[in-house]
Amino acid sequence: MTLLALSFGSYLFALWKRPLLYLGLILQAAYIVSRGAELGRLPLVGPHDTIAFLAASIAAFSIPFGYALRNRNSFFNIIAVVTAAFTAFSMLSKAHNSPLPPVLKTFWFEFHVVLAFMSYALFGIAAVLGSMYLKEKDTVLEGLQYRAILIGYCLFTLSMIFGGIWAYLAWGTYWVWTPKELWTSILWAFYSFQLHAQWWAGRPMAYMSILGFAIVLFTYLGVSLLMKSSHSF
Amino acid sequence: MNILRYILNFFLSLKTTLWFLGILLILFLVGAFIMPGNKAFQQLHSIPLIDWIQKQPVKDIWWLWGIIGVLAVIAVNTLFCSVDSIIKKRKVTQWLLLIAPQIIHMGFLFMLLAHLLSAFGASQRNANVMEGSRLRISDDTILNVEKIDIEIDYYGYVTAWKVDVNYISGNETLQTDRIMPNTPSVFKGFNVNIRNLKPHPQKIALLQVNREPGAMWALAGGVLFIIGIVILIAFKRKIDK
Repeated sequence: MTLLALSFGSYLFALWKRPLLYLGLILQAAYIVSRGAELGRLPLVGPHDTIAFLAASIAAFSIPFGYALRNRNSFFNIIAVVTAAFTAFSMLSKAHNSPLPPVLKTFWFEFHVVLAFMSYALFGIAAVLGSMYLKEKDTVLEGLQYRAILIGYCLFTLSMIFGGIWAYLAWGTYWVWTPKELWTSILWAFYSFQLHAQWWAGRPMAYMSILGFAIVLFTYLGVSLLMKSSHSF
Repeated sequence: MNILRYILNFFLSLKTTLWFLGILLILFLVGAFIMPGNKAFQQLHSIPLIDWIQKQPVKDIWWLWGIIGVLAVIAVNTLFCSVDSIIKKRKVTQWLLLIAPQIIHMGFLFMLLAHLLSAFGASQRNANVMEGSRLRISDDTILNVEKIDIEIDYYGYVTAWKVDVNYISGNETLQTDRIMPNTPSVFKGFNVNIRNLKPHPQKIALLQVNREPGAMWALAGGVLFIIGIVILIAFKRKIDK
């Protein structure tokens, strides 16, 4: 937990010195690795571990996107605040330390979760780029936002496919009608809509990226915490 | 003739895609709030979706009918747009760039086909079984549970299991199999897996026999979808450079 607290501090102080963002990422990665070593499995079950992984993914993906920008200071400042907020949320959540049920001990599950959170991170970056576009109207921001969504959409689809294969092997069906699956469909349809609506360039696209990330957060946290589903925490 | 032209233009339009994707989103949203509070949905997986949906009151599942209708329009729209795109752009030099969105579309259509096949043919049965239990899974086939092994750790958690089964027709053993976590027994379209186990006082397994005719189509669709997106991303990188 000390490593996580230090990474939180590093992200926060990255508002003043950007290299601290990288330090925060290294500390968080070290925390995730240490959790994995302690538990003897991929630490991606429950809000504590998954939110820490989400924060680390956002920080990691922000680096290539940030360096393609002219005004990278604003971008990295927003990323620092977002990653610090997620890390704080992770620290406040209870860690899931009990052994995994046997059906979760498969690489299909591991890839399913890793890819899902990497896609969430990219959708988060698209939202940050969208919010910056609303202020700066820079077409570079718009292009990068599209790219973040396209790659995120690819990873999200892969995650759904891996989830489907895993569900078929574990429970004999690739699709279960629960609120989580419905919200996943909403998310997938939403980004399909956004990728097709290319003539809505500019502000509508930026607003959609922000709305998209709000749906991501509800699909991830809202459904898992509030509704009974196959993905309840 | 004008009506035919109108229908053709309707299905060739990207606006149709966007409008219907928008309607689909709204219907999914409505369903996401109606479904959790409705007990009828707990029975949804035990019989094919089409049979289940016809038995439900329209006021509970109108959104599901809506989703089916909207997806039917989107499927035709996808097919028309793909064919139109190939005809219009057939002379472009970068044919991979032309074909990538069509591969994605084909993947999507395969996934829809998978859901359609499952909607008509999927089923699920649960049964508590012990060693020696026999379960009829089709007119001429019986599933025999040979042996149940359950591994439990120091804290009492089930860590693994092995259930040996065989399929019998008359006096003939057709197939012998072992069910383990994430390793179902697959026999003539049936997927047999274990949902739960009870080690004491007698070893009991909750066996689930599923039929999912769309599974292979869903997998093929998913693979095509990913291939298409990867080609598209690679080409976009090349063009941007």
